[in-house]
Amino acid sequence: MVWFSLLYWVWIILGGILIGAGVHFIPVGGAPAAMSQATGVGTGTTMLAAASGLTGLIGAGSAYASSGGNFAYTIVMGGVSAALMISVLAFIANVMYVYGAGVPLASAKVKYDPITKWRQDLYVSRGTEGHGTPMSSFISGIIGAFLAGVGGALVYFALAASYAGISGFNATFGGYPAPYYVSLAAAFAIGIFFLNCVMASYNIGGTIEGFHDPKFRRLPKSIVASLVVSAVGGLFALLIVVMLPGGI
Amino acid sequence: MAEGERSPRQLLVIGVVGGLVGIYLANYLNSMTNTAWFSFFAALGAVLAVFWGADAVRRVASYGLGTGVPSIGMLSLGAGQVAVLLGLAVAMNLKVHWAAPIIALILAAIIGIVNGVMARRVIKMNIAIMEMSMTEIAMAASLIILGFSTAIAGGFAFDLIMKYVVASGFIIAVFIVGGMAMLHPFNACLGPDERQKRTLNLALSTGFIAMLVAGIAAGAINGIQAAVPTMIIAIFGWIIYYLRFFADTKEDAAAVLSTGLLPKEEEVA
Amino acid sequence: MDPQMMVELGALTLVGAAALIAGVAEDLESDVGSQSNPNSQVQLAPQMGYLHRLYNKAISGEPASYPFYAAIGASTALSVLSVTGNSGLIGVFFALVAGAFVTSLIHGVYATTSYMGRLASQSRFGQPIYLDVLRTHTPVLMAHGFVANFSVLLLSWVLIAQHFSPFPFVVLAFIWGIALGGVGSAVGDVHLGTDRYYQDRPYGSGVNAAHSGSVVRKAESGLRNSIDCAWFCSKFGGPLTGLGFGLVVYLHFWKEVVVTSWWSALAGVIIVVIFVIMNTYLERYSRQRYGTYKEEAEE
Repeated sequence: MVWFSLLYWVWIILGGILIGAGVHFIPVGGAPAAMSQATGVGTGTTMLAAASGLTGLIGAGSAYASSGGNFAYTIVMGGVSAALMISVLAFIANVMYVYGAGVPLASAKVKYDPITKWRQDLYVSRGTEGHGTPMSSFISGIIGAFLAGVGGALVYFALAASYAGISGFNATFGGYPAPYYVSLAAAFAIGIFFLNCVMASYNIGGTIEGFHDPKFRRLPKSIVASLVVSAVGGLFALLIVVMLPGGI
Repeated sequence: MAEGERSPRQLLVIGVVGGLVGIYLANYLNSMTNTAWFSFFAALGAVLAVFWGADAVRRVASYGLGTGVPSIGMLSLGAGQVAVLLGLAVAMNLKVHWAAPIIALILAAIIGIVNGVMARRVIKMNIAIMEMSMTEIAMAASLIILGFSTAIAGGFAFDLIMKYVVASGFIIAVFIVGGMAMLHPFNACLGPDERQKRTLNLALSTGFIAMLVAGIAAGAINGIQAAVPTMIIAIFGWIIYYLRFFADTKEDAAAVLSTGLLPKEEEVA
Repeated sequence: MDPQMMVELGALTLVGAAALIAGVAEDLESDVGSQSNPNSQVQLAPQMGYLHRLYNKAISGEPASYPFYAAIGASTALSVLSVTGNSGLIGVFFALVAGAFVTSLIHGVYATTSYMGRLASQSRFGQPIYLDVLRTHTPVLMAHGFVANFSVLLLSWVLIAQHFSPFPFVVLAFIWGIALGGVGSAVGDVHLGTDRYYQDRPYGSGVNAAHSGSVVRKAESGLRNSIDCAWFCSKFGGPLTGLGFGLVVYLHFWKEVVVTSWWSALAGVIIVVIFVIMNTYLERYSRQRYGTYKEEAEE
């Protein structure tokens, strides 16, 4: 009987936890951010994490293919690609706040920025919770996207490496260039990514500014949820390997 | 529950039975006649699953999830696609080809319960029907994915789905188009005067749009045989339910004006 | 410079340009429809007693609706390619056009359902449904959506054809759709939400939460409609979104084309550090230039 590698399962679980944790680092202002009412990037938690983390997945997919399945390179490229995406996104959004809306970048949750030590509360306009992505939220976002990207890449790596071993999964179909195992691993990595980042965003419930936000202390609950959810999802995904001893 | 609404149990039966019957009809009529003319049955089954899933989304999201309505659809579709592929693989391994959709449905229910328990007990979301809704939405999601995948591939054998739906990448189109069909109705009708009948008519209309996309994708795999009947039925179904949705809108809205200035304050009751 | 890299850089330039156009069109489309974040204000307005003639298009947020369009477009393009069997340049071009066309039709249908659905669910506030708003705005947002979707499909196709990514076409288009929607809602929406919807409020401050929902409803002449908003946002919000998405896509692959293996990870880290430094300067500039809102309290 073919059995799946337990190590790959651990990687999927670890990847899921990293995705869930990464979501907590990413500064999300949600809808109020578009009215310069809240600090952070103006999108929902789930989709901002997905936008950066799945861009990381593209990087991880290319890295996996070009390096022939080098573990370290795949996950580092996943993390770096995601961090790159969110740094560009948050910077351009800040340009928008400064030159388009004419507001300084500030947070209302802390009096002094933990990294730059700059005063925050005086720069918050009346009736708002801050605007833009100031330095500590920016750095927090880069850390978060890196974690989410590494998590997505870990899930992708574990799935791709498992499925590549099934006989017949290296084939391609007709004019479609992607091998079976790449398509299946990418589709499941996206699915498991959404499982974890939605759980994490339910835990956050709205907006978060980054690691200096009081809501960040909810992280342990999310880690437990991510652990269980990705353990079940990962087990289901890896059981496909067990169910196909003779390939297809 | 207001007068004239469909009960959750009624919708569950419609979704599960309709979805399974459609998927089985498509698979066995196709394999008996050795054609792909009957693929549209599976897509019709998936439309019924959309009908059920949209109501489940409606029930849970009306509590307020703290983040957008789409999140729960994304989560469930992600869970559903893993459950479907594993279900097909299990059926292939155990050589019970006929049981594949049922196994997929059960696996989806398991993963849905786990998600629901995590959301309610660990994350501590204060939504009493969380476990039940997550389970129902994940099951509906698995039927949607399996239904549209069967419509594209022409059958639900693991190797067919793997080759025609996964390797070609259509699985992601099924994922998002099916998910949108399920979560858009409530999201689009969000508001204090939302009404089940209108939302569910919209669910059927978006479900038929998803069926249209499945028909287009089926054209890439099985050609005219699969694409034409699916697309024609989808377009007719869409027209019927879009018009019904429009009629419901006229009935519910404060006013439907062809043009005009803003109403004066005294005109607004 | 080896010829292979020249070809790849050329392809990348095309990809970057397509991404830029996609970003601009995406943001303007969402401004016409009031999608994503500023939608909350349009949704809230009738509740606060401010009836309006703005479009209300809630096809989820942009980061969920753009992958939806991209996946439909990519599937349609593949289907058309398999029917015509012409995988030459012109065949691919028309397949992508067909994909974007079908997408824009479905986009239009979804847009009308969310306008009618949301407004009908607010009937107790007396918000009427204006059919002329539907008739005039829907084609405009379909057209912008067409441009955005065609660009996403084009860039995904070039990436596949040049072997930049091993993923299937549909999956790649889907992921770039999410990224496009993410950039569009994070960048462009601020111009619409903070500035355009609250133009009667003083410039240079966030919208006071107490004023939420009191969107501007009168225009220079007559009543404001959402097409005016796209006109306004095309001056800054749209181009900046284009720049953002263009940079995201371009830099993502630039680091893999110009250098290879571990050096590309290093290049990525260096680019991130450059953006952090630029952000520090930007933040300091904004604080020095604009000053504080309140006087420092005595402590």
